Amino acid sequence: MQGNIACAEGALAAGCRFFGGYPITPSTEIAEHMAVKLPKLSGTFIQMEDEIASMASIIGASWTGKRAMTATSGPGFSLMMENIGFAVMTETPCVVVNIQRGGPSTGQPTMAAAGDMMQCRFGSHGDYSVIALCPSSVQEMYELTVKAFNLADRFRVPVFLMADEIIGHMRERIIVPDTVEHHERKSLQPGVLPFHPDDDQVPGFPEFGKGFGVHVTGLTHDERGYPCATNPKLHEQLVMRLYNKVEQARKEIADYEVTNPDAELVFVTYGSPARSVEQVLHDTPGKKIGHLRLKMVWPFPEHAIREFHDAARFIIPELNLGQIAREFDRHTSVPVVSVPKLGGELHLPSELKKLIGVNE
Amino acid sequence: MKIEIDESRCKGCNLCTIGCPYKIFQAGKKPNRKGVLVPMLDRPERCTNCRLQHLYGRVLCGVCQMTCPDQAIRFRDEKPGETMKVAIEY
Amino acid sequence: MSYEDWYRQDRLPHIYCAGCGNGTIINCTLEAIDEMGWKKEETVFVSGIGCSSRAPGYIVTDSLHTTHGRALPFATGVKMSRPEFHVVVFTGDGDLAAIGGNHFIHACRRNIDLTVVCMNNQIYGMTGGQGSPTTPLGALSTTTPFGSAEPAFDLCELAIAAGANYVSRWTSYHVKELTKAVKKGMETPGLSFIEAMVQCPTNYGRRNKFKQVLDQVEYIRSHSMMRQKYLQLMEQGGAVPDNTIVVGEFINRARPAMGVPR
Repeated sequence: MQGNIACAEGALAAGCRFFGGYPITPSTEIAEHMAVKLPKLSGTFIQMEDEIASMASIIGASWTGKRAMTATSGPGFSLMMENIGFAVMTETPCVVVNIQRGGPSTGQPTMAAAGDMMQCRFGSHGDYSVIALCPSSVQEMYELTVKAFNLADRFRVPVFLMADEIIGHMRERIIVPDTVEHHERKSLQPGVLPFHPDDDQVPGFPEFGKGFGVHVTGLTHDERGYPCATNPKLHEQLVMRLYNKVEQARKEIADYEVTNPDAELVFVTYGSPARSVEQVLHDTPGKKIGHLRLKMVWPFPEHAIREFHDAARFIIPELNLGQIAREFDRHTSVPVVSVPKLGGELHLPSELKKLIGVNE
Repeated sequence: MKIEIDESRCKGCNLCTIGCPYKIFQAGKKPNRKGVLVPMLDRPERCTNCRLQHLYGRVLCGVCQMTCPDQAIRFRDEKPGETMKVAIEY
Repeated sequence: MSYEDWYRQDRLPHIYCAGCGNGTIINCTLEAIDEMGWKKEETVFVSGIGCSSRAPGYIVTDSLHTTHGRALPFATGVKMSRPEFHVVVFTGDGDLAAIGGNHFIHACRRNIDLTVVCMNNQIYGMTGGQGSPTTPLGALSTTTPFGSAEPAFDLCELAIAAGANYVSRWTSYHVKELTKAVKKGMETPGLSFIEAMVQCPTNYGRRNKFKQVLDQVEYIRSHSMMRQKYLQLMEQGGAVPDNTIVVGEFINRARPAMGVPR
């Protein structure tokens, strides 16, 4: 199965019933597959006029209680930024799949990159926190899509699936589970103000059509949902809550894989470069090499670094100029070596082996 | 039925003074507590809606109420015991 | 029931300036909805950014106050995912014609079963009176200090060309006609576009020789011309006065529509 198809299938299994999209290489297969499958499941597929509108439409659909998603690539992702900020401010659960390609601008439409890792975290204006998942195989494309929907509904944030062209267009054999985990969206209790947070800082969801009469606004709003844009204290409170509801759960929701935690030399990867590193580990069984593979990059799991207590050097191969290496460096005193690679191709295992002094 | 102007909502734009076919609303002269010149009612018992609504059972004219951008004009039923005043102008 | 019951009484009075026509347009729209007998829990209001777009915040139903110009895509999402909802979009001229122009054309082309009420005050009111795509030629604004050099958009003609099923234009003076038009738009399946010309005394009137609100309303009233009369005049080759606001029903047709509940 192709990575993009696995993503679409995962979304359908997770109960996604609304897809608003716009064609863009290399994510188009997701939209194509959804267009075929959604009408049969009494869902809605709509091709919007641009990515701004796609993002807007899934937010609108999400407020009617549907699980909604869109899929795009770099240039479209940039267009979505304003509405992603709106989704954060209004606490709208939604899933955005970004099959990354070479940038900036039109760049390399048919080649892989991981250049949007910082954009997905900081792209919209203002302070906020989001969740970003990075699959490195077709199987994970399926699993993490399901997970993305569950996290989105639990935290009421936009969740990003940051794959790249390699994973999106790769074909692998996958195991499709009979049932998938389903985290129900917490509904608003009657009599509670629509934006009054529960203990986990996440308010119940006042679905449209249930008689809550909720006013959803991108302006700074109080717990009733009414705009109070000139109240400094309220704004601080609101933004801190939006930030903390994700950040305080970072340990609990963190998703990563650790290989050889007692190694001195540790590779840190997310997305497709993990595959090159796996090959290196496979080829050098005599040498103890650690591997930290992040499946969830944001919120950044800094506690994962401490699992490698003997680490003397972290090597981070990335398909960008070290976006996550810099973030990683902030959290550790151990030397961090960034191995950037641009051009759309993966790091060759031989390149990485040469780097760590293993000759073939 | 009689016309009421809610002074807490009126912003003194005087739009009601041009809509009414009977010219019931006259521009206010004295500012109220908020400094708003709330329009005055000139013989409101001439209002068609006030006179005839109970006969027809629906809002008849109501242009002033619709026009008021600040939702300050209302039609209220008389309190029990209060006499209903009507006047017909030829 | 009357339109009063649709307001969030705890939020009134609203933020609009004294004499602003937006309140009138909301009254008319709510009155039309009241006459339609829609249920509050099945009605959703969507808006973008601007003076007009603050309207849903004063209405008791579920409402989305979204990003600048994007009200129509948000409404598309709501309507397409739950066709049984009645979705009304409040928007302004800058919101709809400038930043949201593309969305407007495509919503009309798709002919989604929405009711779009555009409060056209011919200026960007919220940001302090900048020229908009509907500012008439020669009108003054803060960004057109020597008179607007750009011809203005005719939104109704645009909606017709793009494929909306129902299009009409009225003004804040013609409250009864506007209410009827909005109601008719709501009854028509497919996209109904109702443009309401409103006065903006603070930012448009003040700069364009309308000393009082009433002067501008009087101007709007006296420059309005029924579409039938306008078409007749055009046919006879008669001269149409400058700055005429053509009012009335522009089109009422039955193109295939999307999002109509079955």
